[in-house]
Amino acid sequence: MVTCSADGKPNTTVISQVYYVDETHVALSFQFFSKTIRNVRENPRAFVCVFDIAGQAHWALQLQFERSETTGPVFDAMDMQIEAIASMTGMSGIFKLRAADIYRVLSVERVQHPPWT
Amino acid sequence: MDVSPNITELERKIAEVRILQRVSADINSTLDLDEICDIALRTMDELFAFHHANILILEPDNTTLRVIASRGYENQAVGGRVAVGTGVIGVVAQKRRMMHVSNLGQQRAYAAAQRREMEKSGRQAQLGDTIPVPGLPNAESQIAIPLIIRDDLIGVFSIESPVPRSFGDHDRDLVTIVANQIASAIHNARLYEERRVAAAALQEANASLEARVAERTAALERELRVAQALLKEARSRVEGPLLGDSAVASGLRETVARQARAVAPLLLTGPAGSGKEAVARAVHDASGRSGAFIFVSCAELNTHESLFANRFELASGGTVFLDGVHDLPPEVQRVLHVTLEEGQRRFLRGESSVPDVRVLASTTHDLREPPPGGFLPLFQLLAANRVMVAPLIDRREDIPALVDHFVRQHARRLGKVIDRVSPDSMRRLEAYTWPGNIRELKTVLERAVLVCKSTVLEVEGEQLNEALAVGSYRLVSPLGSGGMGEIWLATHRFLVRPAAVKLIRHDVAPGAAREQLVRRFEREAHVTAGLRSPHTVQLYDFGVNDTGSFYYVMEYLDGLDLHRLVTRFGPQAAERVITLMRQACRSLAEAHERGLVHRDIKPANLFVTRLGTEFDYLKVLDFGVVKEQQSSQDATMLSNQGMVQGTPAFMPPEIVMGEARIDGRADLYSLACAAYWALTAHTIFDATTPAQMLLQHVQARPIPPSKRSELSIPRQLETILMTCLEKDPANRPASALQLDQQLAQVRCEAAWTNERAREWWETHAPELLAGSS
Repeated sequence: MVTCSADGKPNTTVISQVYYVDETHVALSFQFFSKTIRNVRENPRAFVCVFDIAGQAHWALQLQFERSETTGPVFDAMDMQIEAIASMTGMSGIFKLRAADIYRVLSVERVQHPPWT
Repeated sequence: MDVSPNITELERKIAEVRILQRVSADINSTLDLDEICDIALRTMDELFAFHHANILILEPDNTTLRVIASRGYENQAVGGRVAVGTGVIGVVAQKRRMMHVSNLGQQRAYAAAQRREMEKSGRQAQLGDTIPVPGLPNAESQIAIPLIIRDDLIGVFSIESPVPRSFGDHDRDLVTIVANQIASAIHNARLYEERRVAAAALQEANASLEARVAERTAALERELRVAQALLKEARSRVEGPLLGDSAVASGLRETVARQARAVAPLLLTGPAGSGKEAVARAVHDASGRSGAFIFVSCAELNTHESLFANRFELASGGTVFLDGVHDLPPEVQRVLHVTLEEGQRRFLRGESSVPDVRVLASTTHDLREPPPGGFLPLFQLLAANRVMVAPLIDRREDIPALVDHFVRQHARRLGKVIDRVSPDSMRRLEAYTWPGNIRELKTVLERAVLVCKSTVLEVEGEQLNEALAVGSYRLVSPLGSGGMGEIWLATHRFLVRPAAVKLIRHDVAPGAAREQLVRRFEREAHVTAGLRSPHTVQLYDFGVNDTGSFYYVMEYLDGLDLHRLVTRFGPQAAERVITLMRQACRSLAEAHERGLVHRDIKPANLFVTRLGTEFDYLKVLDFGVVKEQQSSQDATMLSNQGMVQGTPAFMPPEIVMGEARIDGRADLYSLACAAYWALTAHTIFDATTPAQMLLQHVQARPIPPSKRSELSIPRQLETILMTCLEKDPANRPASALQLDQQLAQVRCEAAWTNERAREWWETHAPELLAGSS
């Protein structure tokens, strides 16, 4: 996931999940990416590259941050999954969903290789 | 238009519906948990053609889930556990919400990467342990559904696949339908099991309750019989002493009428045997008080102050009679004095209507002259309302009425017909001084009735006072009587020690036959006197008295024989019976070694007593003496003498058959019969006539005692008893010592200790302990 601060400094990070919300929206988990979150709050645009292992494909998504949810079905489903993984791997208390950030999908593009390879 | 994909889809859906219909029918047709799980897992196979599914049940602690059925795992997952809140299944149970994950491996890898990063940056302390959970280690897709019935979580149903995104929304819906069926079926199966267990418990409780009710009923019936006997005996004691036309007798009757409604304590004075207890009972009977008349022998209460208080409680609403109140320990006298005084004060102040317990007391002390230092306060209080019960000598004109009453009473009890007392006898009775008062009169008449052979009662001069002696012993009061004679409490003329004297009647006229009989009696008495076992009753003396009766003098024992013990208190615990039997064995072993066979071992001849600090000390009575004479009697004689009333029930087959050679094993048979009686309160055979009983000893096999008692009888003990009851002596234990050793090996639920024996006596028969030592 690539974000950019208001003064133009980019930041790249690795995220575990891109949740499908509906045809025009995805959700990303807000756990502990402080720089990413700060950037998105300053500049709502983001770029995400998704690996689909089963489909052997990669997708590039242009996103626009819309809102942050701390309750509701999307938050609950994401929260349960994170808690299930955290409890098995000794990460309880560290892996904790603080919010589900909802993004509008501006574009989706299939790419042969991720841009950095 | 290409419709084939739609047709295929339609066929698939129809197949799914059929599978779901079948699973619904199958799963609801059973209440067996294993079968329910099997149907559910088989359905998963049919719907998805894969093999990874788990059914977990929430444990009663509500913190753990346990796999009860699984399919498709290399290592059988059944029995595996996961904590609520851990992993996909644990979180589903915690949140009670379904979870559908499609990229579990990816998420795990991400978490592992994060973990490594933290470890590298030195933040290990924040990390917990990784926890394995049941299921595929490389699962990518998983649907886990909580099994919920009426808001209660009962478990989790989970399916897994190693392939990412294996399950779509449609699959999730199908699994949800099956999970709901599973939850419902498991719930039904559990309810059914709970009810089955509850019904079984109820049935068991019912059976136990019925048994307890039956046991309690039997105990109550026994208590009732004992109470009735005591009541009857008490009534008979009331009647006599108030009879007669003398001024003394009229005065006593008036006193009774006057005192009956009074509430103040009443003190009865007068010499021993004058009838003070009878007057007290008459006062109680006429009082209309609903409670009991409780007799307290103060001389026996020296070390039992608490018992004294208990007796007062028993007398609530009735009367307590303190016999020999002068014997009360000073401390108890003080307590009683305070209690009586307080009761009187409250009564005078009108604080209570009537004192709850009427106190009557008796003393043989002469209160006309105070002792040096004056009366104790209790006596001052009691003496305020006192009545003198005069000695018999002062109411001599009542003697005919009293004689008539006691003769009728004894004749009725002994089953004799006596029309009158001869004039000479009556003159003797009226002329006699009666130092023992009415009690002595009653005793003399009892003995006279016992030996009387016609309808006219004769009382010879020697039967009065001086005649009531055998050898160096003076007879005090009768203790009992049987077919062959009577037993008296006696005291040595010079030594104070009490003794029991047995007088044996016979109908053999003077002459050679009688001489022979005397010699045999003497020979057997010599042998018996030589027995040294502490479990054999000691013989002090023997002889023939002036009236021609044989007598022998034995140590006097407090306690009761096994016959009375079981009659009064019912079947006894196996460990106690073993303890008693072993003591009898030791007595018999010595006798058998000397060639003496008892021949009449029966519960009435096994006397349970206290010897010093030892409780349940058993003494074998009636050893050998005149036994040969008895056994040579013909059957008619046996019947006439009442022998068949008890003894046939304990008679070994070889004696029944009249075998010439009888040895100690005959006693072992009888001892086993007695033990059988003690364990079950039944004789080994049920028979309505002596002949039937004797026949069964020869022919029938007894029912094992465990089948006739509600108490537990160790199998080992039963085997030993049944061996002793073998018809052929050769099949019984070879000796009493061998039997003793076998009994020592029997393991019981609890040991019969001296402490338990002491508790038993103190609880059940404290009155029998007081005087013994």
